[in-house]
Amino acid sequence: MNVISQLYRRLNTLRGRRVFILPTRFGVLYSGFLLLILLAAINYSNSLGHILCFLLASMGHLAIHYTYRNMAKIELLNAYSKPCFLGQAITFYCRFDNPNRQDCHHLLVASKQSTERSWNPFKNLIGYQYQPHQALDLLSAKTTTTHRITVPSIHRGQQIIGQVRLSTRFPMGLFKTWTYFSPECTAVVYPAPGGHLPLPYMTSDGQDHAGAQQKGGDDFAGFQAYRDGDAIHAIAWKAMARDNILRTKQFSSCVSGQLILSWQATASLANSEARLSQLCRWVLDAEGIDAEYSLVLPKLSIELGRGESHQQRCLTALALHD
Amino acid sequence: MLGLSLAAAPHFAYQPFWVSLLFLSMIAWRGFAIWRHWPLPGKHRRYLSLIKWFIAASAIGLMLKSYGNFIGRDAGTALLIVMLGLKIIEIRNHRDYYISCFLGYFLVAINFLYSQSIATALLMLIVIVLMTTCLVSLNDIKQTISKATQLKLASKMLLQAIPLMILLFVFFPRITGPLWGIPQDAQTAQTGINNEMTLGKISQLIQSDAVAFRVKFDQAIPSNNELYWRGPVLWETDGRTWRELTLPYRYAKRPPTITTMGKSVRYTVTLEPHNKNWLFALDVPTELPTSLSTLFSHDGKLLSAKPIKQRIQYQLNSKTHYAMNPDTEPLLADALKLPAGYHPRTRALAEQWRQESSQPEDIIRMALNHFNQQPFYYTLTPPPLNGDTIDSFLFESGKGFCEHYAASFTVLMRAAGIPTRLVTGYQGGAVNPVDGYLVVRQRDAHAWTEVWLSGRGWVRIDPTGHVSHDRIELGMANILPSEMRAPLFFAQSDSLIDVWQQVSNNWDAVNNAWNRSILAYGPELQKSFLSQLGMTNPNWQSMAFTLFAAFSVMLLFTSAILLYSRRDTDPVAATYQKFCDRFAKLGLTTRYPYEGPLDFASRMANIHPDHKADIDLITTQYISLRYGKTMSSLDEFKNTVKRFKPKIT
Repeated sequence: MNVISQLYRRLNTLRGRRVFILPTRFGVLYSGFLLLILLAAINYSNSLGHILCFLLASMGHLAIHYTYRNMAKIELLNAYSKPCFLGQAITFYCRFDNPNRQDCHHLLVASKQSTERSWNPFKNLIGYQYQPHQALDLLSAKTTTTHRITVPSIHRGQQIIGQVRLSTRFPMGLFKTWTYFSPECTAVVYPAPGGHLPLPYMTSDGQDHAGAQQKGGDDFAGFQAYRDGDAIHAIAWKAMARDNILRTKQFSSCVSGQLILSWQATASLANSEARLSQLCRWVLDAEGIDAEYSLVLPKLSIELGRGESHQQRCLTALALHD
Repeated sequence: MLGLSLAAAPHFAYQPFWVSLLFLSMIAWRGFAIWRHWPLPGKHRRYLSLIKWFIAASAIGLMLKSYGNFIGRDAGTALLIVMLGLKIIEIRNHRDYYISCFLGYFLVAINFLYSQSIATALLMLIVIVLMTTCLVSLNDIKQTISKATQLKLASKMLLQAIPLMILLFVFFPRITGPLWGIPQDAQTAQTGINNEMTLGKISQLIQSDAVAFRVKFDQAIPSNNELYWRGPVLWETDGRTWRELTLPYRYAKRPPTITTMGKSVRYTVTLEPHNKNWLFALDVPTELPTSLSTLFSHDGKLLSAKPIKQRIQYQLNSKTHYAMNPDTEPLLADALKLPAGYHPRTRALAEQWRQESSQPEDIIRMALNHFNQQPFYYTLTPPPLNGDTIDSFLFESGKGFCEHYAASFTVLMRAAGIPTRLVTGYQGGAVNPVDGYLVVRQRDAHAWTEVWLSGRGWVRIDPTGHVSHDRIELGMANILPSEMRAPLFFAQSDSLIDVWQQVSNNWDAVNNAWNRSILAYGPELQKSFLSQLGMTNPNWQSMAFTLFAAFSVMLLFTSAILLYSRRDTDPVAATYQKFCDRFAKLGLTTRYPYEGPLDFASRMANIHPDHKADIDLITTQYISLRYGKTMSSLDEFKNTVKRFKPKIT
């Protein structure tokens, strides 16, 4: 068994990537026209008609080679992605390499999320999504190009790029050749920030309280523009009466304080996704007010810290929460 | 669009003017739409769509009026052009572009049904390149390559397609057409000899420079006065027009008894299509051609079973000395008939000769002397004849050419009681020194007579020769006035005429080669050509097999050319790669893609400490060649790598 699979693998590397080619509907139409010309030529015993038919047939035949050549040697070197929040589009960056001595023109790039294989070969052909801007219009000879593929994010966590299909019809549009790449690139999808709970401020005695500011009564630090989720009692009603702008009161003891963003603090929310969204919101907020914060999840906790890499760690932890 | 116009342009000559007008105006509309942003019919411009439909409907109406239907070549072409014109103004998406391009290709094919000349072929080649360029630009949406490069790509594809095309052309099993109903309108108004003759008709032919047929002789070409190419034989006359004899089939197809003498001449005729049944042969063929289904008629002409609608070739043996029906002629009465009440003066003259001598030979001599000695002139532009044409010619004008002399001689002989018939055909021809072919043109059309003499059979008498000796001895080309031999510019001096002759000879030879090898390449020629190539008994199976085999070879060849890419030819990189591969032979991992030369060197030096000096030397040399300011010599680098042979330690 092992020998067979080894042999198969070697065969695969020898054969290279599988490149498919089939006539397009215009190719079929073209052959129809050729048949018509041939019939007319036979009927009228017309030698030049025969020649024309054969010439066009030969050109159509050459088109197979040309179309194949336009893509056959292109390699997907690697792919990487940047994390994004759920609901945003994920951008995958694919580096395509053209080792040919010829330029490659008008390559269409499509991708499909799933990598699962089906017993039904046609299932492997369908489900690819093109986006009009996802065409590589020119890949010059012996160059490498980074191409962006955007894919809608479907769920929180890790999302793979799946299969990438590269296809082309250049130069005559009579044949379409395509090939598949599996770049093995994973994008991290953070939960979408959401939720209305206020930031859980940590008091000096080390206990954390949700909505600490009402109790704290520390030094008043100033106003901040109202955002969804701010507590109603923190709203500066008097200030609003003056100029009709919603503000919340901020207290200085909290600003310099440390935050512990814990799973427990979101217990009031319905499901775990909502809790993760809330935590995500808190992480962003905490980073926004430049506070030190730590994240405590049931299976993992991240110590206090601040800065972009810390934020990324926290968000990744949220994204990968099971 | 330019391509489409070019493809359509040759059709304008055959089509009614409104077809061309419509097509050109549609092109112009589209052109202005691109150039000046004129509106085009579409969803938002209903009124323009209405105009479009109105145009379409009126075009169909006009077409029904001029052709009556849409079936057949001319009407079909008209329909195609009109549709293409309308398509041009409603091109909106890719599909429309593709269809227009394919229709353009098809228009090219239809063009060939009308003309297969070299010029048409070249023009159509340009059209094909343009259409292909159009397809290329359709598939290069962002126009990343310039129009010139697209054009270059299309031409390159065309050139690369030619070898395959030749292969297909030679080996593709040919089928004898037509597949469905005979295309009635495929041959319209062919010039050529008719099976009836009215005085003045042949002179139209004499104005024509068109080739009637070409002959290749196996041996020397017989002298000009023996080159009588027999065509229809005319017997009946109503006083003005001469016709063939209408006979029941079994009589008409009964060949004459011919005894031939002398040397036989072997030759091949390439006959241009004339849409008639008869074939032209040197008087008189000794057997029927093998390549065609033919027979001899009772009066010695060669008849094909089908009208000649395509250029054909046949091989014949002829003998120029013969006796036809020497002993009995069943149709003698028909060779004596004259319409009652016509040609009284001619009859009187014949009656006078008859009383002078009872010997037919004497009467013939008297008649020929009459033509020779009386003031008769050979001219290609005779004055019009009034009243009784024969009397008027013989006794008044005296100016005419072959048909006048032949017809009046026939009347004279019949009136004198000698059975006579009128033979039409061609006489002479001009040898093209370039390829050695004898070219017989329409202007070589001729009419002569045959008299039946007991014991000798039908004897050819050519009264024209007794008026114009040169016509028969030198051939038509030499007696034509200079303005008829060459275009106006060249007709100014004899040397220019010679230049013109030279050029037209060469051009004719090229045309002849084109006709013989390309246009005439049908089922018969394919068979004989493939037999020459060494295929025994070429049938469609063996052809298909050869085609398949040759195609596969060609396919390998083209794919090798197109897909083969040379390895990295940079000598420095190649040598360095050799160095790296040395380690691979030892079973070590070669350089990783991410590993620089220095890292690789240190890794290898760790494994092979005893080769450290060599490894370092090679790496230093490589780096200096690759990146250094001071170049070390490439040869030295190559030598060090060559010497470097690490061993397993």
